[in-house]
Amino acid sequence: MSTKSTTMPSGGKKKRKKPSHKKSELDSALDQVGDESAAAAMKEFQDLLGEAKGDTRELVRQNAEELERRLVLLKKRQIDKEDFDHFVENQKRILRVFVDGQPAQAQERAEKLTLRVLEIAARVAIALI
Amino acid sequence: MNSTLVSRNVFLYAAAIFIASCGTATFTKTGSDVTIESLRSFHLAFIDEFAVPGKKFNATAFNAKVNEGNAKFQQAIADEKFTARRPVLVDLKAQFDADAAHLKSKASRGKITPALASEMKKDVNKIYDHALGR
Repeated sequence: MSTKSTTMPSGGKKKRKKPSHKKSELDSALDQVGDESAAAAMKEFQDLLGEAKGDTRELVRQNAEELERRLVLLKKRQIDKEDFDHFVENQKRILRVFVDGQPAQAQERAEKLTLRVLEIAARVAIALI
Repeated sequence: MNSTLVSRNVFLYAAAIFIASCGTATFTKTGSDVTIESLRSFHLAFIDEFAVPGKKFNATAFNAKVNEGNAKFQQAIADEKFTARRPVLVDLKAQFDADAAHLKSKASRGKITPALASEMKKDVNKIYDHALGR
């Protein structure tokens, strides 16, 4: 059972952590994608994922890290695209349950950022496999 | 003098009703926490039983368990007295429905992987934690 806290201590305000310069396993995999038409989506995805991973709000950060881990599982063929799509839908549902229990304004940006990352993830997943 | 006494009694009755209603709300919420934990256990056991790599898919057993789950979730939604929690229970049922559909599709084709089972259980724990406000 998870023991994480889901509080958002900044009350909706966001402080950015300094992005890490070390390339993640996913970054390396994305860099290898040769499809130029997907390049813009990749760039936007990497930027948004980096922003979400550096977010002080735990839910946003956890969702981004989970998404990244699952993209790596997809790349390694430990899960397939159907599984990946199922997990993206799960993350949206989990976000909805979380947001339903919170003051709306404080969570608005968390919801927008996370949903945007999840939407682009589907396009990135296709390019990865 | 009499009106002061009446006012005091009205105030005391109102305070007693307020305190009693707080106690009832706490009790109701605690009761629904127990229900949600019970649904979580059922959901995780369902994944443990059917998300097993290499296990032959038993459609009869699977459908029976899904029907049992549907009945449990529907009962929980109908019994929930804390109205703010009903949409959450509906979302938990949606999660169960989605997991059941995905497992049926994968298990019937022998495409369950260890990572799939493990990731599914992570999501189940996460959504139930949020449902409980953790």
